[in-house]
This record gives sequence, C-alpha cells and structure tokens, in this order.
Amino acid sequence: MKYLLLSTALTLGAAPAMAETFKWASTTDPQTMDPHAVNSAPVLGFLNNVYEGLVRRGKDMAVEGALAERWEPLGADGWRFHLRQGVTFHDGSTFDADDVLFSYERASSESADTASWFSPVSEVRVVDDYTIDFLTNAPNPLFPSSIANFMIMDRSWAEANESVVPAKDVETFATRNTNGTGAFQMVERQPGLKTVLEPFDGWWGEVEHNITRAEFTPIQNSATAVAALLSGEVDLINPVPIQDAERLGASGAVNVIRGIEARVIMLGFGHEADTLKYGANAGDPNPFRDARVREAVAKAVNVPAILQTIMRGNAEPASQLVSPAMNGFSAANDRRPAFDIEGAKALLADAGYADGFGFGLKCPNDRYLNDEAVCQAVTSMLAQIGLDVELDTMPVSNYWPELRADNYDMYLLGWSPGTFDHEHPVRFLVTTPNAEKKLGSWNFGGFSNARVDELLPMIQSEIDPAARQAMVDEVTAIYQSEHTYVPLYVQPLVWGTQANVSVVQRPDNFFILRWVTKG
Amino acid sequence: MALYILRRVLQSFFVLLAVGLVAFSMFRFVGDPVDNLLGQERTQADIERLRDVLGLNDPFIVQYWNFLKDAVQGDLGVSFRQGRPVMDIFIERLPATLELALISAIFAVVVGVVLGVYTALKPKGWLTNLILTVSLVGVSLPTFLIGILLIYVFAVELGWLPSFGRGETVQIGWWTTGLLTGSGLKALILPAITLGLYQMTLIMRLVRSEMTEVLGSDYIRFARARGLTDRSIHFRHAIKNTLIPVITITGLQLGSIIAFAIITETVFQWPGVGLLFIDSVRFVDIPVMASYLMMISVMFVAINLIVDILYVIIDPRLRAGENT
Repeated sequence: MKYLLLSTALTLGAAPAMAETFKWASTTDPQTMDPHAVNSAPVLGFLNNVYEGLVRRGKDMAVEGALAERWEPLGADGWRFHLRQGVTFHDGSTFDADDVLFSYERASSESADTASWFSPVSEVRVVDDYTIDFLTNAPNPLFPSSIANFMIMDRSWAEANESVVPAKDVETFATRNTNGTGAFQMVERQPGLKTVLEPFDGWWGEVEHNITRAEFTPIQNSATAVAALLSGEVDLINPVPIQDAERLGASGAVNVIRGIEARVIMLGFGHEADTLKYGANAGDPNPFRDARVREAVAKAVNVPAILQTIMRGNAEPASQLVSPAMNGFSAANDRRPAFDIEGAKALLADAGYADGFGFGLKCPNDRYLNDEAVCQAVTSMLAQIGLDVELDTMPVSNYWPELRADNYDMYLLGWSPGTFDHEHPVRFLVTTPNAEKKLGSWNFGGFSNARVDELLPMIQSEIDPAARQAMVDEVTAIYQSEHTYVPLYVQPLVWGTQANVSVVQRPDNFFILRWVTKG
Repeated sequence: MALYILRRVLQSFFVLLAVGLVAFSMFRFVGDPVDNLLGQERTQADIERLRDVLGLNDPFIVQYWNFLKDAVQGDLGVSFRQGRPVMDIFIERLPATLELALISAIFAVVVGVVLGVYTALKPKGWLTNLILTVSLVGVSLPTFLIGILLIYVFAVELGWLPSFGRGETVQIGWWTTGLLTGSGLKALILPAITLGLYQMTLIMRLVRSEMTEVLGSDYIRFARARGLTDRSIHFRHAIKNTLIPVITITGLQLGSIIAFAIITETVFQWPGVGLLFIDSVRFVDIPVMASYLMMISVMFVAINLIVDILYVIIDPRLRAGENT
C-alpha cells in the first residue's frame, strides 16, 4: 500500500498534466476479448493493454517482470515464479497464485488456442499465495519468455460469469467483457465498431502515459484510414500503406514511424514432391529436389531491387528465417546469396537444366505487404535465368488450404516467431513434419534433415547460452546451405501518428497504450 | 386473382431456396475459415477438430439444410469471427444501413425530381447543360472513387465533415439512431450523397424525359389554351403524370440502395450490414454471409412480389390474360 501511494504521488508529479483522449485505428478488430480463445496478434496485442502476464516485454522486447516480480529455475525441473503482492483486478478482487493456476488450466484447456504454449509443462503447483511452480518435462530455458502473452484472469470473476473455459463457437461473458490487472480497463465494447479503454486507477505500475480515455476503431479501407489521420479524427493508424508513407511523411502534418517487423518473407519449395504440378513442365520430375536449383533461385532474385521499388526502401534483406532483432539470430551466418544471374545460370546448367523449365508459383494477395507485387517481380526475375513461372495469386483464405494440400511447386510464406526466438521457425518450418510431436506443422514442402531433427530438442533444453547459440548456428548453416527456403526480406512496420503524439513501436506490432503521450 | 397471388408467393419461395442453394455451393470457393480462427501454432489435429465442431466436413447440402432448419426457428447461427449469434449482430448493424439507405433515397428523390423538372422546363439553359454534364460524370465514376473524393475535399481539405463512422448515436429500444445528434447528422451527409448519387441521376433523367414528353402532350396544350398560368400547368398538371413511373422506379431501387450500400459502407467505415458482409467474406464467416445473402434476397423477392401484385390490382389487362 505504501508503495502504491508513493508511485501515485510520483506519477502525478512526473506525467504531463494535460488530460487527453487518444483515438487509434487499425485494419482488424480483435475478434474476441477473451485472452485464451484466439492466439492472434490483433487479439493479444490489444489485450496486452488490459490483461497482464507473469512476465511482459519491454520497449526493446526484453522480458521483464509483470505479475511476477522475479523467477528462478528449479534446476532442470521447471521454473518458480514469485508473484507481485498488492495487485488487484479491475473489479477490485485480489490477485494471487490461485488465479495463475486457474489461468493456466483455462489457457491450456482443449478449447483454448493458447494450449501449445504449455506443451512442455507437466504440472503447475501452488507453493503459497504468492509463489507458484511451473514444472516442465525437460529443462526449458526459454519458458518464461515463451509465456509473455499468457494473460492472467481472475478465478472468481470467471466462475461467477460462467466463463471458465474459452470458446470459439459460442459467446461467453469473457468474449465481450474483461477483468484484467493491466494499466487500462475496458469501459465499452461494440465489436467491429468501437472499443473504449480508460486508465485503471488501482494499477500497480508507474504511469508513463497521459491518456484519460482511449478509443479504438477498426478501419478496413486504407484510404479511409489515411484520410482519418490527415483530418485529425484519429491520432494513430496502423498500418500506413507503403505507397503513401513517403507522401505523408513529407507533408509534415503527421509523423510516419518506420520499423522492422519480426516477420521474414521467404520462398518455399516442394521438397518431397516427385513431379512438378503446374506450368509448362507439369508432370516432369521435380527440379527443386536439387539444392543447386534452389540456390539458383536464391541468386536470381534481386532482393535489393524489390526493396527499392516495391517496398520503397522500407524493408531490409533477410539472410535467415529470423530478423536480427530476434533472440538466437545467427550472426555467424548473416550473409544471403548475392544477386548473380550468371552464377544462377551456371548452377542450373550444373543440375541439368541449362534450358530452364516451367513451374507454378503460388502466392497470397492479401496477407503480406504488397505480396502480389513481390511475386510478380520474382516471376520476371526468374524469367531471366530461363525459368518460366506460372504465377497464381489468391486471397489468403484460399491460400492456406492450397498449401496444406501441396498444390504448388514454389510458394511465398511470411513467418513471425511467436516466441521471438530462432528456435520457433526451426520447429515449425525446418524440422521434419511430425503430427504427434507437433513438429514441422508449417513445413509444407516436407524438408527433412536428420541433424536438424536431432539438434532441435537439444536447443530447446540447453541452459548455457553459448552452447545453445552454437547449435542454432549449426542449424542455420544447414538450412542455408540446403537452401531449404529463400529468405527475401524482413517486412516493414509503418505507423502514422499526429505530430503531437509519441508512441513506442515494437517489432511484434503490438500497440502499447501505456507508452503513449499526447500533447 | 387469389390463385395468381398464391402462385407468385410459391414461386418467390422457390427463388429464395434456389438463392440459398447457390450461395452455399459457392462458400467452398471463398476459402477455409479455420485458418482465421486458429493461430500460427495450430496442428493438423486442431484443424480437424474445429472443422468438425463447425460442421465444415459435411457436404454443402447438409450445411444448407442445417442452416435452413435453424433459420426457420429464428436462429441464424453463430458468427465464426465474433463468436456471437448472427441475429444479435444483425440487430446491432441493421439500423445504420437502413438509416443510410433512407436518407440516400430521400436525397435521390428530392434532388432528382427538382433537377429533373428544372432541366425539363429550361432545356436550353446553361445551368441545364452544366447539370447534365456533371451528372454524367457522377454516373460514370465508381461509387468508391466518389466517396474517396468527397472525403478528401470535405474531411481532409476543408475539415467540415467527418471522414468515417457514424458519429454519436442515440439508443431507442434496440434501434440506434444517428438522426438525433449533431455529429450523427454530419456523419450521414457524405455517405448519403455517395450512395444516393447514382439513383439521383437516374431519377433526374427519368423525370426530365417524362416531363418533356408530358409537356408536349395534348392536355397541356389545352391547358395553355385555357389560359392557365405556367406555374399551375407545370406544378399542378404536368408533374402529377410525371411522377407515376418515378414512384415505381424508386420503390424498386430501394432494394438496390440497401444492397449497394456495401461499397459506400466500406469507404466510410459505416457500421452497417454491408460492412459486416465485406468483413465476413474476408474471414470466411459462413453463417454471416449466408444470413446476409438470404436477407437481401428476401428483400428483393418481397419488393418484386408486392410490385407484381400491385400491377395486377391496378391493371385489369393482366387479370384478363389469365383466362386465355
């Protein structure tokens, strides 16, 4: 209590005095207010303002304490979290270890979309009111950072409102109502129209913002969003269309904030497919089984040109499946194949395709920034080494079923690691698919390498950072030399704000209200 | 007569069933909703389980049958995207669309008739030429572009009107209205003009040609011969006969105003059912798409049915045709 009074007094002195309503707009409305029902960036990003986890990510993405003050490994058996005392939920009830246990049970239940976060957990044990143990099957050094979006819900509130399990196919009380411990509480929710947050007076942390009310509106049409920003009706829009960014920034009336997202855009191949499925050579043996052909593709795609023209200088080339901002980035392997038409042609000739061949490229047209334009550029670049690409673009709702059904010869994919660690794309994209162990579930092409499969569990349980990085470097070297994927670039983040607004842009594209100041 | 109406009602019923059947057979091509519902860390087992829960593994005929069975009992299912009953969502969103459609229709009729009469009475004036030229431009530009242009002029450059949304609304029972607040009325202006512009031009041209024709007819010449004032001839005698086809067209166009509201609502982020539909297509929200399409087809079928029945009542020749 003393601490609470002190921090309130401090913030009254420190925070800018003006009271402000802050309005922001984004393309997608969070589809639910239930923090365990849907594991998607719009939902988790929004709810990070309302709910809190045991740990959270700071301005630089580093993991810091939130509802847990500190934590320590229990040898090889798991982790012990020491919880913050004196924290209350928005409805006034007290936070303790039982709420963490309840939230674990809720978030790992069958109908929860967040259950995969807890697959390494064997048991959760309440030690006392403010100490809780998460026991894991094997040593798990990354566990605390992997649950940064695991949000804590009050047991008594959920039980009183019959929202004990999350649901997708029916509405529960938690779908439209919240009761978190975060810096903001929800005061109004009209799905698809408007969601209003106000600061929570009883928040435990130190207030850095000067917002008295915050209104979120989804605006689907990007031209409308830009107009709303220019006319001053909203204070922030995310995203700003790439083609408008320069013009907006030059106008001076608004700020354009550019950053690098965690998402790497890459080309993928059918590694297992025996034959080509599309284009002039459909039915012929699949050339992409040969690493030299994949390397030729990597050399023939002029990434700097794509970034210059289509991304208007807003993105950076990628050498591997994660961006340099991620944990476990392999600095030792930070080279991507240089643009080299002759080299690419020589590799094709080496592999026995001196005259090139025809095949099909599948591509989404509404999933990533300018995805269709990038695929068109790739198509014309590959034509220069004699590859005749039949490009087929489609909305993302049709795209994933096509990839799951292996209906492609080559495809475009973007990957943003949920844990912000290199292990994540290795587990999902590079490891041999194995439904039982939940491995390789996005490795559509069926790439398989025994050494990678062997290294993954070792990476997951290695405590020593240097030894772990050495193994990550080895995996990176393998998938680079095999050209399993052709990483192209890291997708940019472009936000637009009014000139008097200051915000913090994190690579996970989460918009955190408590760092906003206006005026 | 009763037999004719019964037959038309029965026909309408089959039209509705057919629309639903076509809609449901198309949904497979819109894409797979499960990818939007499950996060990145989903497994194949999660996908299968969810497909089963949502009934997506059933043949589309079975899905259609289940939808109809529930719809007859007033249950339109649960939205995949929002996880809430579709009926609740529709009730929230319908007032916005209906108010916008109503105001657009009033705008189209009033302005259309006034300009139509003016251009008919002064066929050679410079203002007439200007109106006709501008209206031609208005008709040829897509709604989308007109909306964006209006936003840039009146919201961004002049700052007079809001660029998106519905402003403040007042709740009356389950109905929300923007007609009672200043910001609500201001927010209506641009979308209503955008949506009504096409119908306005249509009505204007219709009124103009009807009026020109009527002004050349015998009874107007007789009225002039009797020495009636221009004012009385134009606004008492001529306009009455002009408006009959206008009323028919307006009635039929009301349906398309509501249906075309999709584009206007997207441009202005107007929180009506059209915006809801666009959103549901993006997320493959089958219950919402199905309900919306059925609602629109019920509306069109009902309007046509009423018009057909009215024709029979008004025009004895159609009744006589029955006996041949």
